Amino acid sequence: MTQLLFKHINVEGLANIDVYEKHGGYETLKKALEQKPEEILETVKASGLRGRGGAGFPTGLKWSFLAKDVFPRYLVCNADESEPGTCKDRELLLKNPHLLIEGMILCAYACRVEIGYNYIRGEFYDLCEIFEKALEEAYERGYLGKNILRSEFNLDIHTHLGAGAYICGEESALLNSLEGMRGEPRLKPPFPAVEGLYGKPTVVNNVETLCAVVPVVEGGAEAYAALGTEKSKGTKLVSVSGHVRNPGNFEVVLGTPTSEIIEMAGGMREGRKLKAFIPGGSSVPMLPAGKVDTPYDYESLQAAGSMLGSGALIVMDDSANVVKETLRIASFYMHESCGKCTPCREGTRWLHQILGEIESGRGKDENIELLQDISDNMSFKCFCPLGDAAIAPVLSGIANFREDYEELLSQAKAGAAAE
Amino acid sequence: MFAFSETSEKEIEKQLVKYPPERKKSAILALLRIAQQQNGYVSAEAMEEIGRRLDLSPAYVESVCSFYTMYYTRPVGKYVIMFCINVSCHLLDCDNLLEHTAKKLNIQVGETTADKMFTLLREECLAECSRAPVMRINNDYHVNLTPQKIDQILDSLK
Amino acid sequence: MPKKTQTETVTLTIDGKTVTVPKGTVAVDAAKTVGIDIPVFCYHEKLGPFGCCRMCLVEVEKMPKLATACTQAVGQDMVIKTDSPKAVKGRQGVLEFTLLNHPLDCPVCDKGGECPLQDNTFEHGPDLTRTEFTRYNRDKAVPLSPVVTIDRERCIACQRCTRYSDIVEQETALVMVNRGFQNRVQTFQDRPYDTRFSGNVVDICPVGALTNTTYRFKSRIWDLDNAETLCAHCGVNCNIVVGVRSNEFMRVQAKSGENSQANDAVDDGWICDKGRFGYGFVESSNRVLKCRNGKGDTLEANDALGQAATQLKKITDEHGPQSVGFIGSPYGTNEELYLYQKLFRQQLGTNNIDFKTYRQTPGLPVEHYDVGDIETSDMVLLIASDPTEEAPVLDLRIKKSVSFFDVKLAVLNDQKTDMDKPAASSLRYNVGSEAEVLSALIEALNDKPVRGLEKTAGIAPKQIKDLAATIQGSGKVCVIYNPAALTGSASDRILELLQTIGGLPDKQCGAIPVAPGTNAVGALDMGAHPNFYPGGLALSDSEKIKTLWGDEAPLQPGLSALEMIQKAASGELKGLVVFRANPVVDFPGGPTVAEALKKLDYLVVHDMLETETTQLANLVLASNGPGYDDGTTTNIGGRVQFRKRSLVREDHPPDWVLISRMIRALDPEAPSYKNSFGVTDEISQKVPGYEAINKNAIKGMGMPRKGSACSEVQGNGAPAAEKSENGALRLRVANYLFAHDKILDASSPLSHHFKSSTVYLNAEDAKALGIETGDEVKVVSGDAEVSAEAEVSDRCNPGAALVPRVSDEQGLMALVGDPDAAVWVQIKK
Repeated sequence: MTQLLFKHINVEGLANIDVYEKHGGYETLKKALEQKPEEILETVKASGLRGRGGAGFPTGLKWSFLAKDVFPRYLVCNADESEPGTCKDRELLLKNPHLLIEGMILCAYACRVEIGYNYIRGEFYDLCEIFEKALEEAYERGYLGKNILRSEFNLDIHTHLGAGAYICGEESALLNSLEGMRGEPRLKPPFPAVEGLYGKPTVVNNVETLCAVVPVVEGGAEAYAALGTEKSKGTKLVSVSGHVRNPGNFEVVLGTPTSEIIEMAGGMREGRKLKAFIPGGSSVPMLPAGKVDTPYDYESLQAAGSMLGSGALIVMDDSANVVKETLRIASFYMHESCGKCTPCREGTRWLHQILGEIESGRGKDENIELLQDISDNMSFKCFCPLGDAAIAPVLSGIANFREDYEELLSQAKAGAAAE
Repeated sequence: MFAFSETSEKEIEKQLVKYPPERKKSAILALLRIAQQQNGYVSAEAMEEIGRRLDLSPAYVESVCSFYTMYYTRPVGKYVIMFCINVSCHLLDCDNLLEHTAKKLNIQVGETTADKMFTLLREECLAECSRAPVMRINNDYHVNLTPQKIDQILDSLK
Repeated sequence: MPKKTQTETVTLTIDGKTVTVPKGTVAVDAAKTVGIDIPVFCYHEKLGPFGCCRMCLVEVEKMPKLATACTQAVGQDMVIKTDSPKAVKGRQGVLEFTLLNHPLDCPVCDKGGECPLQDNTFEHGPDLTRTEFTRYNRDKAVPLSPVVTIDRERCIACQRCTRYSDIVEQETALVMVNRGFQNRVQTFQDRPYDTRFSGNVVDICPVGALTNTTYRFKSRIWDLDNAETLCAHCGVNCNIVVGVRSNEFMRVQAKSGENSQANDAVDDGWICDKGRFGYGFVESSNRVLKCRNGKGDTLEANDALGQAATQLKKITDEHGPQSVGFIGSPYGTNEELYLYQKLFRQQLGTNNIDFKTYRQTPGLPVEHYDVGDIETSDMVLLIASDPTEEAPVLDLRIKKSVSFFDVKLAVLNDQKTDMDKPAASSLRYNVGSEAEVLSALIEALNDKPVRGLEKTAGIAPKQIKDLAATIQGSGKVCVIYNPAALTGSASDRILELLQTIGGLPDKQCGAIPVAPGTNAVGALDMGAHPNFYPGGLALSDSEKIKTLWGDEAPLQPGLSALEMIQKAASGELKGLVVFRANPVVDFPGGPTVAEALKKLDYLVVHDMLETETTQLANLVLASNGPGYDDGTTTNIGGRVQFRKRSLVREDHPPDWVLISRMIRALDPEAPSYKNSFGVTDEISQKVPGYEAINKNAIKGMGMPRKGSACSEVQGNGAPAAEKSENGALRLRVANYLFAHDKILDASSPLSHHFKSSTVYLNAEDAKALGIETGDEVKVVSGDAEVSAEAEVSDRCNPGAALVPRVSDEQGLMALVGDPDAAVWVQIKK
C-alpha cells in the first residue's frame, strides 16, 4: 500500500519538529531550495497533482495562472474543512502540521509568495494552537522568516481562524472572510490568481493538496504520476464514515475500487447490506450499491454519475432511508446558504420544506416532479457552487432510490385515506 | 461599557500584526472571538468597540458577527455543547443521543441550563465524521459518543 | 465601473441585433443601447455589478451555463440570447424564487405602479406560484428612521440599499445581518438610519420594502403629476422629480435612472435628505400668501408692486439714487436677480445691490470647473469648505472620486469635517489664519522658503511644503472652496493661489466656489454686486457697460449689503428692498440689524415666508419661490439649469412677473415677458457668458455658462492672524445642514435632526477654562451672549470656539460684528 501523506501519520509525537525531521521532514525543502522556483512549479505541473479540496483542478496549472510580476502575492491554505463526511484535513493538521508547513513553503517558493495564511475553520481551535506551535518551531529552525536556509527566500505564515460558515470553504468566500467580511462568495472573474486576497494574485489550495506537494517534490513528478490512472494521479485521502465497521481516513492510490476502500474500513456492519454511498461528500450525487466497484478516481466516479469531491465516502446500509438522509443534508444547505443569491437562498429552503412534508408522511405524488423542477431552476443558476451542491443529493436520491420516496408517499396516501 | 482586558489587548496585538496595517479589518473575526472569550458573548458595546478599533461602523461589525455561527450575541453557559447532527453522525443515531443529552441537562436544544453551566446547540458537520457521533464542548472534541460516554463527560464537567 | 476614459469598443450580437459598446460594458447596459431591456433587481449602474438576484440570466453562445447579464462583460463577437427557451425558463424560475416569500400586497403597496418586481413579474414571470407553504414571516412596516419605513416581508435581499450605504454614502450604516433566508437589512441594533443621504434607498429599492414615510399611503403613483425640476436648498442644484396630486405637493425623488435619467454632470442621481424631505416650506402655514402694508392691510399684488416702485422712485427723487438699495438672496433665480438689478440700476440709478455678507468678486483666474471635473482630476484641494453640511451631494461626489477614480483629496480647513476621512492629507489651521496659510502655500508653490506659522496658524512649514509638492505633482487640480468661510484678505489669497497653481508648468487647474445658497454663482453673474454689472463687468469697464446698459448706467460704486445696513442705521439709506433674505437673523449683528432697518423710511420685504425681517416691513410682497415659479439657476459648477415649477398659484403672479411689473411701473416702455424664458433670453443678450443659454440649450442636463475672467488679484502677502487678548477665543461659526430655521420649521419630518446649541472647545482651552463636555455655558461677545452646551473635542485647534449655526432661535449672529474682523468670545459657565 503506497502511503505518501500518511506514511508516518501514526508516529508518536509527529507534530513535534524533531520527530518530523527524524522522519525526513524538511529534507525536501532543503533540496528544493537548490532548484529554481520554476523548476518546482514544473515538477508539480508534471506530476498531475489535482486539487484535493473538491474541484480537482490541476494544481500546477492553478499556480501558473498567477498574474505575472504583480507583488505582493499571497498563498492561502484552505483549512476550512467542512464538507459533511470529510475529516482528512483534520487528521493531517492534528498529527502532522509540519507536513503542511513544508508544503506551504514549497508552494510559496514555487510561486514567489512571501506571505501565507492558513485559514482554519473556527471549530478547529485546538488544531490552530497545534499549528501555531509548529509554526514557531519552523521559525526557530529557519524554515520560515527571512532568508530561509540562506536562500534569500522569505516567507511568513499566519493563522486565521474562521468562525462557523461552511461557505467559507469556497475559495472566494474564504478570501472575503480573511479580509474581514461576511463569507459571501465573490464574482468570478477575476479569479484569485489574478485578484485574490487584498486584490493581489493569490494561490488558494486545500490542506491535503499542499501536503501532497511534499511527496511530489520529494519523489519527483514521474514517480508521483506513475501512481493512479491516466488523469487521476497519485494518492488520495478518503474519509470513510457512516455504516461501516471501522470508519477512518485511508490513503489510497487513485483508481482503487470503491468497494476495496469500504473493505479497508472493515466492510459493512454485521447483517447489513450496502444500500447507497456518497463518494465525495454531501455535495455530490449519491450512488446505489450496484456502482460500488467504480474505481475511486475523478473520471470513473464522474462516469458513474457522481464526483470524487473532497474524498468523503459516506456509506449507507439497508437500514438507512434515503429521504431522511436527503432531508438532513437539505437542512444543512439551507442553514449554510449565505443568502446572497435568490435561487440558493429560496431554493434550499423550499427543497427542505417539501422534503420535510414527504418525510413526515404528508407528501404528494407531484412533489417529486416539483423537487426536480426546483432543482433544475437552481442548477447552474446560483452565484456559487453551493446551490448545485444542494441539489445533488435530491436529484440523485430521486433517480437512484425513488422507491424510498414512493414508500413515504404511499404511506401518506394511506394515512389520508384513513382519516 | 465594554473594555478589553489586558490579556485581551495582548491577544489583539498578536492578531493585528498578521495583516497589512491598512487591512486591519481582517482582524475582525479575531477581535470578535477575543471579545467573546473575555465576556462569554459579544455584546453590542463590544461590537462598537471593535468598530472603533478597526475603523468600521458598528453596523458593519454586527453584519459580520451575525454571519458566522460561532459568535453568541447573548450570554451562554459556561460550557457550550455543539452537537453534530450532520449526515455521518445522523447515520449513527445522533438524533437520539442529542435527545438523551437534552434530557440529561433537562433543557431543550438551544437553551441554557438554569445554573448557567451548559448551553446545548445543534451543530453542522464538525469534520470528525469517521469518529461519529461527535460533539464539541467549548474547544474540545468528544468522539464516538454513546449515551454512557455523554453522561460521563457531562458529569465530569459539573 | 468601467473607467470613463475607456475608448476601445467591442461589437457583439444581442438577440440578433448588432451592438457596439465600450470594452468592459456589462451585457445589461449593452442591451439597453439597442432597446433590449434585460430585467434586473440587484444591478444598479451606480453601484456596479453584483449578480445576486439572478434575474438577468441570459444565454451566451459557447458558455455552458446561463450568465447574469449584469456581471457579464461583453466581448468581441459574443452572441447573447435573452429570449432562448433556456434563458426564459431560467428567469421564470428566478422570479418564482423571488416571489416565494414576497407578500401579495401590491394593492396597498406604495411601490405599486413603479415597481420593478411587479413589472418584471408581469413581463417574465410565471403566472402562478407552486409553493403551498406559508410565506416567511418578517417585520411589516417598521420605521427605519422617522422618514424611511421598511417592510422586511417585501424585501428581496438585492442588497442595493446596503451596497449604497457602503459604496455611495460610505457610512455602512445599513447592512445585511444574519445569513441565508434569515438575512435582513438592518442598522446597528435597529437604531435609526439617519444619515444625510438615507432617502436615496427609497428610490433604488426595486420593491416596496423601503418607502418614504412622508409619502406612505398618500397617493397612487399614477395619480401624480411629475415635474422634473431642481432642488432649491444648496448650490449643487440637484435634479429632482416632484410628484404633485391636485396641486398638492406629494413627494420628492432624485431624478435618476429609476424615473428618468440621472444628471451625472450635477448629482449622479443622488439627493440629500434635506432635498427629499425638507420641502415643507412650500405648503407651510408660515407662508406669505398675500401682499400687505406695514399695518397689515392686505393688498392686491399689482397695487403693492406699484406702490413699492413709485415709493422707491420718490425716495431717489428726493434723496438721490444712493438713498435706496437692494439686498437680494442667493436663493433667487437668475431671472429674479437679473430683473431686480435692472430695476435698481436702470430705473433707480444705483449700484447699491448685493446678496451676501462675505467678500467675493465675480470671476476666477482659472477655469470654473463643472462638478463632473472632480472625477477626472488628479487632485482635489478642498479649502475651508464642509460639503457634508453645505452642499451635501458634493460630499458623495468627492468620496466617489477618491474611491473609484483614484483622485487624491487634500483638505485645508480650520475644523474637522467628514471629508478628513477620505482625504489623503488633511491640515487643520487655526481659526482665522487662512490668509496666512494660503500665502504660505503660494510661497511654497513658487519654491520660496516657507515662513514659520506653527504659532499663528498651527501648521508646520513641512506640511505646507508637502501639500505644495502634491499639487505640483498632480496634472489636473480642482480647488473647491467656500468663499463665505474665508476671512479677511483670504478672499484675495484664494484667487492668488488659483492663479499660482494655474501658472505651474503642465498644469490644468480649475475651481468650484461653494458658497451658501442655491444660486450664489448666478447671483454674482447677474450683477447682484455693488461693484460689478452682470457678467462680471467691473464698474471701470464703462465702455462695455454703456454699450449694454445705456449712457445713464450708474458707474459710482454701490454699497455692500453690510454697508447698506450701516447706512440705514446712520439714516443715509432711506429705502431698501430685501428679497428672500432675513438679515435680522442671518446677518452679522443680529438685533442691531433690526434697529438699523427700523430707521429706514421705507422697507420692502419680498419673501415667501414670514420672518423677523418681514415683521419690520412697510410693505411685504408675497413671493412664490421654488415649487411655484419657473426660472434658471447656476450651480456651483457654473451649470445653468431650469427649475420648473411643480405647483400652480392662480391668485398671485410669479416673482419674475412681479419684478418686471415694478420695472414697467417706472418705465412703461420696458419689455414684458411671455414666460420666464423670455427673461432668460434677455439675459443671454445682456449678460456676458450667458450668450448660449436658452430654453432648448439647457434642456435635460443644463449647460455651463462661460465664467467671466477674474478682475485683478489684489495685493501680496497676508498679515499674521490677530492675537487673542485676555484669554478670549476666536469664534468660528460653522454650518449645520439641518438647522432649525424658517425652511425646516418645527413641523418638518427632519426635526429629529435638529440639534441644540453647542460650542466645541479644544481640550487645551477647556482645561484652562475648567469646562467639561456637557457643561451649560454662555458664549459672550460684548453685550451679546449665546447659550450653548460645551463639547470638548478636536474639532478645531486651540484658541477657538466653534459654534455650528443650528437654529434661528440660537441668535448666533448677534455675536458677530464686522465679518472681516476677528470675533473674540469669552466662554462663561
